[in-house]
Amino acid sequence: MSGTVRRRLYWAIQWRRNEGLGALGIVLLAAAVLYAVLFPGIFGAGALNKFVQGWFPTALVAAAETIVMLTGGIDLAVGPMVSLGSVVAASTMQSPLGTAGGVLATLALGIGVGSFVGWVVAVARYPAIIVTLAMSFVIRGVALLILPRPGGFVPHGLSDLLAGNRPVTALLLVLLVLAWKLYQATPLGLGLVAAGDNAEGAYRSGVGVTASRISAYAASGMLQALAGLYVAAQTGSGDPLIGEPLTLAAIAAAVLGGVSFLGGQGTLRGALAGSLLMSILINVMFFLRLPLVAQYVVQGAIIVVTVALPRLRAAARRPV
Amino acid sequence: MSAAGAILGARSVSKSFFGNPVLRDVSIALLPGRIHALLGENGAGKSTLINLLSGTLAPDAGTLEIDGDRIAALAPRDARRLGIAVVQQELSLAPHLSIAENIGLGAAPRRWGMIDYRGLAARVAALCTGVGLTEPPELPVGRLPLGRRQLVEIAKALFRRPRVLILDEPTSSLAAPDVAMLTALVRRLRDQGVAILYISHRLNEILDFCEHVTVLKDGAVTADRPLAGLDPLGLVRLMVGRDPQDLFPPYRAQATAETVLQTNGFRSGTASGIDLTLHRGEILGLGGLAGQGQEEFLLGLAGAAPARAAQFRMTTGAKPRTAPFAGVAEANAAGLAYVPADRKREGLLQPHSIRLNLLLPGFAAHPVQRRRRAAEAATSAELAGRFTIRGDLRRPVQALSGGNQQKVALAKWLPLAPSILLLNDPTRGVDVETKREIYLALRAMAAEGKAVLLLSSDTPELVHLCDRVMVFHDGRVAALLPHGAATEEAIVAAALGLAAPAAASVPA
Amino acid sequence: MRAFALPMALRGFGRSLVAYGVVALLWIVASALIEGFGVFAHLRYIVELAAIIGLVGVGQTLAVIGGGIDLSVSAVITVAAIVLPMLSFAGDATGLGAIALTLLVAAAIGAVNGLGIGYLGLPPLIMTLAMATILQGLLVLIAGGSAVSVDNPALNWLGNTHVLGISATILLWAIVAAATLFWLHGTRAGALIYAIGTNPLTSLLSGVRVARVTLGLYVASGLCSGVAGLLLLAMNGQGYVGIGDPYLLSSIAAVVLGGTSILGGAGSYVGTIAGAVLLVTMTALITVVNASEGWRQVILGCLILGLLPLSGRDQSR
Repeated sequence: MSGTVRRRLYWAIQWRRNEGLGALGIVLLAAAVLYAVLFPGIFGAGALNKFVQGWFPTALVAAAETIVMLTGGIDLAVGPMVSLGSVVAASTMQSPLGTAGGVLATLALGIGVGSFVGWVVAVARYPAIIVTLAMSFVIRGVALLILPRPGGFVPHGLSDLLAGNRPVTALLLVLLVLAWKLYQATPLGLGLVAAGDNAEGAYRSGVGVTASRISAYAASGMLQALAGLYVAAQTGSGDPLIGEPLTLAAIAAAVLGGVSFLGGQGTLRGALAGSLLMSILINVMFFLRLPLVAQYVVQGAIIVVTVALPRLRAAARRPV
Repeated sequence: MSAAGAILGARSVSKSFFGNPVLRDVSIALLPGRIHALLGENGAGKSTLINLLSGTLAPDAGTLEIDGDRIAALAPRDARRLGIAVVQQELSLAPHLSIAENIGLGAAPRRWGMIDYRGLAARVAALCTGVGLTEPPELPVGRLPLGRRQLVEIAKALFRRPRVLILDEPTSSLAAPDVAMLTALVRRLRDQGVAILYISHRLNEILDFCEHVTVLKDGAVTADRPLAGLDPLGLVRLMVGRDPQDLFPPYRAQATAETVLQTNGFRSGTASGIDLTLHRGEILGLGGLAGQGQEEFLLGLAGAAPARAAQFRMTTGAKPRTAPFAGVAEANAAGLAYVPADRKREGLLQPHSIRLNLLLPGFAAHPVQRRRRAAEAATSAELAGRFTIRGDLRRPVQALSGGNQQKVALAKWLPLAPSILLLNDPTRGVDVETKREIYLALRAMAAEGKAVLLLSSDTPELVHLCDRVMVFHDGRVAALLPHGAATEEAIVAAALGLAAPAAASVPA
Repeated sequence: MRAFALPMALRGFGRSLVAYGVVALLWIVASALIEGFGVFAHLRYIVELAAIIGLVGVGQTLAVIGGGIDLSVSAVITVAAIVLPMLSFAGDATGLGAIALTLLVAAAIGAVNGLGIGYLGLPPLIMTLAMATILQGLLVLIAGGSAVSVDNPALNWLGNTHVLGISATILLWAIVAAATLFWLHGTRAGALIYAIGTNPLTSLLSGVRVARVTLGLYVASGLCSGVAGLLLLAMNGQGYVGIGDPYLLSSIAAVVLGGTSILGGAGSYVGTIAGAVLLVTMTALITVVNASEGWRQVILGCLILGLLPLSGRDQSR
């Protein structure tokens, strides 16, 4: 076998995995064009940066939800976890821990909570839907206990860094995608998808199904906490309920990106594309002076259409 | 039973599920450089034994032996490390991952903690050539038909360079040229010193290249000996414990001339251009290798899959039906009942009581009715009595043995008084005694005037029970053989697409 | 291994006993320790509040036993509460006409859910989630942020009447509960719900009209959520956007606490009744103890986690 063919295997596999994203890509392009037409100013560096900053939290939670759904599970506590992240970030930065310590504490919290949930789902074998539902109560409660009302403090330095004029956010996004690709290329990362695709088969193949699952929830938790930290930096304070709408947004973005509830199917870039599409649509609706809540209607409609369309097409195409 | 130099073996292992003993005091030894056949009927315990040997399950009693060391249990990871590879019927592949990633799953070469795709590509290419896979390695496995996926599974087992290779019916979905390639491959491995355990129902295959045989019957070992001196009949006698003739009730031609279902140009899934005439009191067999369209034909008739026909006529009810059914409920209402092949996932509600399972079709047919527990108890008791299903009917049906579960899957349709019964491999995984009971029940139903369409992967069933046999090949009917002409050779020949040895086709 | 002799539904009864036990324990302890807790009027009030959750829980229980879930219940509650005044018309002296129309709307929403899930095969999570989202958006567009007062004679009667010392609210719940239990355990159609929740494919191949049964489930859910919304309106006197929001998670919690498995095919509404009362009791206790909303959420979550061993494990790998 020639060297060129060997090198090509990885990229050939990546190309194949993109196959389902064609339709989404077209819709995304159309939405982007619409946005550019309505707001030509988007191409200015500052406006583009602001857009990415608005998109970032949704992108993060979409990624977090995707990682969990790839293992065949689901996370209904995404919103409260983001809130908790913002609350912890805003509460620890004034303490002796300082800014850096606060950041670390927030991320560690995400990893810790995620690992716990992962353990309950993977080892104790309780259904993810009810475990994360219960956790959503617990996490929301803890956030309310720490900060009953929005408050706390985030140093201006951090806010400027993350939500200021420099394209730090875009950089973070690129890092996220790179980290994920690297992880997917490791045996543990591949095992994660295999475990979601055919759990019994993966187990028989010697894949550490339990370890993959726990690490998936841990990574997901970290991303959610990061989103909370980011939101706190954006607003300058912590808010125990700020993340509530993000659970639905995360699931919607993942579903748009082709991620299946059954596990093993879908890609992170698909979910990111889905979250990008939703962000663009929200901004477009804003410019069209539609009431803010029209976004709810559109979001819901998008979800139904995206999921129903392939089924309708399959039903129409039945080979009889 | 212990043989010196065995790489892998089991010593007096036993295993039960839900109180049902599946393996009883079984011992077996796999020697390097020997092709060891494992024979037994469906439900004799072969799959469970393989699961024990490969670490997927742990024995309730007894020990395993690896290189002479006794251990109580094995984890799949350890088994792999020790060089034990299994190719099971239930594939372990991830449909959305590529062929290459599946082959290397859990054992891919690494570089700096990540998967070395170049190394993987090289090794996968060599393996695919050896196994006969020509598809591009980046193709998602889910796109391949079952037979090709089986080849991927085999390549995956070989990827780890095993010392012990266990093959569970590897040729069941393969076409003839692939079978030849596989046989050659297995012989090469034997010459390299690999210990091979080979499970197959194809007696000719076994006699062709296996050297030693262990026979399981109802969970116990009834024979463990070299194959020299055995012929197919001898093997069957070892498996069944008696001459095959005793298994089947004497054949009686009970088919009447009255047509109950007639169709031309029937199409469903991969089956097309099928003509069928079914008579009252007839048992019509559907045969052929796996995946040749006979199952899709049956599902289409049952209303469980979309179907079309140039001409269709079913005259069981007051009004004749002139188009294939769009749904199972419709088919049931017209007097047609379908018993699926997979009683775990399709035939029965496993965690629910035997009673509820028996009553389900009745409930489904007339849902707007009050529950009458006394009448229900009486009906289910009567059904259970007729089919000798013993014990408390309130137990979950998964507590029953495979054979008894199959009886429930069949009995549940009787209250609907169907005129036509469609059976999909009803005796798969069923013990000998229950098989006999099912055969008698089928004969009785035919005598009552029901028409039975029997899809079977067990050729003797088709030979001894059926008035006619439709053999499928490549989605079409390759031969339609009447009872006398439907010999095992004729059926197998037609299944393989060869011209029948004697001119035996009759018009539909 | 012992073979279970109990039918699946009864096994749910066993688990619901735990919920009843916890309620009884809490009531006894609280009555002893807290002044006025054990007074009849107070306990009746708890059950009245539980009636709302209990009514929403009917639909949720049916959906869960059938293998799905209904995330649109809170939206339907709000729809009913907001839409009733809009549907009031002259000549409707008793107010029953407006009520009938409102319930029709609620049932129609459930029907759309049922059609999407049963006939298009959309996952229940997605369908009901999307429905909830769309409804929430429409509601704000229609009603804006203001509260809507209502003056419906029938509702007024419902909210204020007591029959033999028991409020009409509780009687209504009792009637609906009896009907639900009859449907689940006294009719064949109820057994079919358990069947499709256990294995939809087997059910289909056994002749069950799965799509139809599913449709019926979600229509019932919509209807009961509508009733709950009207009841809430009767008790509050006014409706506003968001009035139904707390009840989504409460309904799911009540179902789970009552011992019904989230995976479907088992359990019973009997448990949900206890679950609803348990939830309200806990809220009452927390209010008395002056604990904050945060503590309420934490305790609720821990309670569900703690009762998980009862509600069934995921047997697949």
